[in-house]
Amino acid sequence: MNPMNPVNPVNLMNRLLQVRSRLDVVLVSLLALTAAACTTTASDGMYFGKTDPPKGQILRYVSGAEAESLDPQVSTGQPEARIYMAIFDGLTEIDPKTAQPIPGLAERWEHNSDNTEFTFHLRDARWSNGDPITAEDFVYSFRRGLTPELAARSAYMAYDILNAQAFNEGSVFAQDPATKEFVADPENPKLRLVLPGDPQERASAVQSRNLTALVRGKVFVGPRAEDIGVDAVDAHTLRLRMSRSVPFVPGLMTHQFFRPVPRKAIEQWGVHWTRPEHIVTSGAFMLKTWRPYDRLVVVRSPSYWDAANVHLDEITFIPLEDQTTIMNLYKAGEIDGFLNHTVPAAWIDYIRPLKDYMDAPELANEYYQINITQPPMNDVRVRKAFNMAVDKVALSHFRRVTKPLTSFVPEGIFPEYPRPAGDPFDIARARALLAEAGYRNSRDEYDPSKFPIRDVELIYNTTDNNRQVAEFVQAQWKQNLGLTVPIKNVEWKTFLDKRAKLDYKGFARSGWVGDYMDPFTFLNIFSTPKGDNGTGWWDKKYVDILTEANRQPDPEKRFAIMARAEKMLLDAQPVLPLMSNATNWMKKPYVKGMYPNPETLHAWKYVYIEHDPALWDRDVPIMTSR
Amino acid sequence: MIRFIVRRLIVTAPLVLIVVSLTWGLIRLAPGSFYTSEKQLPPAIEKNIREKYGLNRPWYVQYGKMLANTARGDFGQSLKYTNQSVNAILWEALPVSATLGFLAYLLALVVGLTSGILAATRQNSRLDYASMATAMLGISLPNFVLGPLLVLVFSLTWFWLPPARWNGFSINLILPVLTLSALYMAYIARLTRSGMLEVLRSNYIRTARAKGLSERSVLVRHALRGGLLPVVSYSGPALAFLLTGTVVVERIFALPGIGNYFINANLNRDEPLIIGIVAFISIAVLVFNLLVDVAYGFVDPRVRY
Repeated sequence: MNPMNPVNPVNLMNRLLQVRSRLDVVLVSLLALTAAACTTTASDGMYFGKTDPPKGQILRYVSGAEAESLDPQVSTGQPEARIYMAIFDGLTEIDPKTAQPIPGLAERWEHNSDNTEFTFHLRDARWSNGDPITAEDFVYSFRRGLTPELAARSAYMAYDILNAQAFNEGSVFAQDPATKEFVADPENPKLRLVLPGDPQERASAVQSRNLTALVRGKVFVGPRAEDIGVDAVDAHTLRLRMSRSVPFVPGLMTHQFFRPVPRKAIEQWGVHWTRPEHIVTSGAFMLKTWRPYDRLVVVRSPSYWDAANVHLDEITFIPLEDQTTIMNLYKAGEIDGFLNHTVPAAWIDYIRPLKDYMDAPELANEYYQINITQPPMNDVRVRKAFNMAVDKVALSHFRRVTKPLTSFVPEGIFPEYPRPAGDPFDIARARALLAEAGYRNSRDEYDPSKFPIRDVELIYNTTDNNRQVAEFVQAQWKQNLGLTVPIKNVEWKTFLDKRAKLDYKGFARSGWVGDYMDPFTFLNIFSTPKGDNGTGWWDKKYVDILTEANRQPDPEKRFAIMARAEKMLLDAQPVLPLMSNATNWMKKPYVKGMYPNPETLHAWKYVYIEHDPALWDRDVPIMTSR
Repeated sequence: MIRFIVRRLIVTAPLVLIVVSLTWGLIRLAPGSFYTSEKQLPPAIEKNIREKYGLNRPWYVQYGKMLANTARGDFGQSLKYTNQSVNAILWEALPVSATLGFLAYLLALVVGLTSGILAATRQNSRLDYASMATAMLGISLPNFVLGPLLVLVFSLTWFWLPPARWNGFSINLILPVLTLSALYMAYIARLTRSGMLEVLRSNYIRTARAKGLSERSVLVRHALRGGLLPVVSYSGPALAFLLTGTVVVERIFALPGIGNYFINANLNRDEPLIIGIVAFISIAVLVFNLLVDVAYGFVDPRVRY
C-alpha cells in the first residue's frame, strides 16, 4: 500500500458518513478500491497512475466543454480560449507562469500619460496561408467583432474603445447639418454625445437629461465602423484610442475577442470559415481535424513567426467535462493533462500530496451576493452580521482547495495590490449588530425569534460543491446566530434568470472569473447597477474612485486608490465573500513548460514532452508567490 | 399487411409533430436561453442576438418555422454550436450511438436467449438458479455503478482496456457495450425463461411431443417461436432507445453519441438541436414499434393483419 495513501478504514468510514449523495459514496468506495490496487500499478507513488510518455512530441489535453465555435469573436468560454492559445495569436500573449501580458504579435507597445491611447508595434508575422498579418487585419477584426449583426457576446469587452459601444449598440450621435460637427457630451466634453438609436427611447433620454436645447436642429447619425477608435497607422503600427483611462489594455488584448481573424477566408466562406478545410490561423499551431465531442487536433504551423521555438508537433484537445472520466483517462495514461477544477473534492486528500497535482491561486473568487433592495437585507448592519457569522477559515478547511476570503479581490494573484481586510469572523459582534438593527428582546439582547427569517433564503445553482458550501454556511448561521436560513437549489439557467432580475430573497451564490490580470476586473462588476452586479447596490462615489484610479499613471498609486474603492464595497457589504479558488488540475511529470498560472491558459508553444525521467517535474512551485 | 404498415406510417407523422410541439412549448417555459451565462450580457448585445436568431418575432411565426423545418426534415442551425447544422450533428453522432446500441443489443440477445432457454429447459437446476441470480444482479445494478466498476477493474487496475473515449470500431467499445447490454441481457434472459416455461406447458407442445418429435425439434421449432414473443415486444422500444443514444453510458465513457448532445442541448437551451433529437428519437420509437408488430406476424401464427 502506498505510504502516502490517507485512506484507512476509519478515515473511509468518516468520509462515507460525510458524503451523502449516492454518486459520492460510489466515488469514495472506488477510490478506496483503487488505492488498494495501487501496489500493482506502474506508478511509483509520486504520481497518479501511469507515467509512460507518448512517443515523440505529442500532447493530449482535456480542454473542457465542447467548443461552441472556433471563431474567436463569437465564442466566449475558457474551453475555446484554451484552443485559441494554440491557433490564434493576440497582440499580447499570456506569460506561461504569471499570466501577465507578454509580447505576442505586437513586439512592443507604448501608451500616453493618462492611459487613453495605446500604440502597438507589430512584428513580421504570417497567417497559416502565408499572407502577412498587418495592422489592417486588427482593424478589420475589431470592427467585425463590434458589428451588431455578428451579435458577438463578448463585444462588451471592447466597449472602452472610443465609440465602440455606440457602434455595437446601434446608438446615434447628434451632428450639426451645416458644420458637420458632432455635439459633445456635456458630462465629458472630450467625447461625442451618444443617444439611443430608437427614436422613442431617444426622445425620453433627451428629455430626462435636459438636452433638448443641445440637440435642437441637429441630425442624428449612426456611428460608422471608421468612427471606432482603432486605426492602422501603417502596416506594422496599430493605434487604439479609448473613451476613458484603461491602464490594463495590454492584458485585455490577450482575450479571445481581440485575436485577429482572417478577412479573406471569412469573406470567401462566410460562416463556414472555421471548418478545418477553410480555416486560416495565426498561432503556433494550425487546425488539422475537428470532430465534435471527440477530438480537435492541431499541428505545428510552419509559417508561424516563432516556429523555431515551438516544441510540440501535435496537440489533441479532448472535449470532456465528466470529472471521474477525466481522472480515469489520466490515471490510465490516455491523457497528459487536463483543465482546472477537475479533481473531485472526495479525491483531494489522496491526490494533493502527489507531485503531478497543480495547485495555485486562481483569478477567481466565490461569494454570496445579497439582494439589498428588500428588508431585512436593506440594513447594512444585518448584512454585516451575516458576514461576520461565517467562519471562512473553517469553510476553506472544509473545502480543501480554497483560501478564506474576507475581501473581494482574490488572494495571492496581485502581490502589489494592497487588499483591504474585510470584517473578521466575530460572533459576538454579529449578534450585537442584529440587536442594534432591532432584533432584540425586552432586555436589549439579541433575540433570533424577532428576526423575519421567512424573508431570507439562500439560492444556489445545482452542483454538489455549491450544495456543500450552502449547507456549511447554513450551519454556521444556525450555530452562531440561531437562524435557520432555508437553502434552495435552482437549475443553472433558471438561476441566472432569477439572479439577474433580483428575484431572490437574501442570498444568491456567485463567483467571478477575471477577464484579465487586474483587480479592476473584479471591482468593475459594481460600476453599473445592472449587469453582473445583481445586488441592487450602486454608488456613484464608488465609480468615481475607480475612474480616478484608472487615470493614475503610477501603478502603485493606482492600486492604492483602487483599494479604497474595494474598502467602500466591503463597508457597504452587498456581497458576502467566501473564498479564493485554487486551480486544481494535473499534468504528467513528463509534460514540461506548463505551469499552474492563475488563468489556467497555457502558452502551448513553450510546452514539450521530456522523455528523460531524470528531468521530469517533481514539484511545481506555486507561481504567484514571490 | 401492406395496408397495415401504411396506416401505421400515416399516424406516425402527426404523432411526431405533437411530440415536437410539446417539446417546443416546454423549452419556451424553461427560464433562461442559450445565450445566458455566468456573465450578464448588456441589453444591447442581447437585442443584437435576439434579432440575429429571430427571437423577437411573434411566437406563432417561430412555431410555424419550427414545424415547417421539422416537416422538411431540416432542423436548421444549432444555437449553441454556432455555424453547425443540427442535421450534420445528428449525422456525425448517430453512427456512434448506433454502433454501441447495436452491439449491445446483439450481445444481450445472444447471451440472454441462451441463458434463458437453458434455464427454462433445466428449471430449478443449479444452472437455472445461477443464471437467474446473475440476471437479477444485472437488473439491479445500475449502469452508472457497473460502468465505473468495470473501468476500475479492467482499465485502472489491470490496465487492459482503455477507460473511455471513442476510437472507431476498436477495443474501446468493449467496456461500454458490456455496461450497456447488462440490463437488457438480464431482461431478455428472464423474459425468455418465463416465456419458454409457459409455452413448454401448453397443449401444442404436448401434442408435438406425443407425435414423437425429438426434444430438440420440439424446443427449436415449436417452443422457441412462442417463447420469444415477450422478447420480441420488448425489443422494439429497447432497440429504439439503444440505437438513439444512451445518456449515462455515453457520458461515463465519453462517447460522442446522441445521448451526450441531448443532455447538453437541454442544459444549453439549444432549441433546434433539442427539437431535432426529440423528433429523431420519436420517429425511431414509432418505427421500431411498427417493426415489432410486423415481426409478430412472423413469430406468432395467430396474429393476422
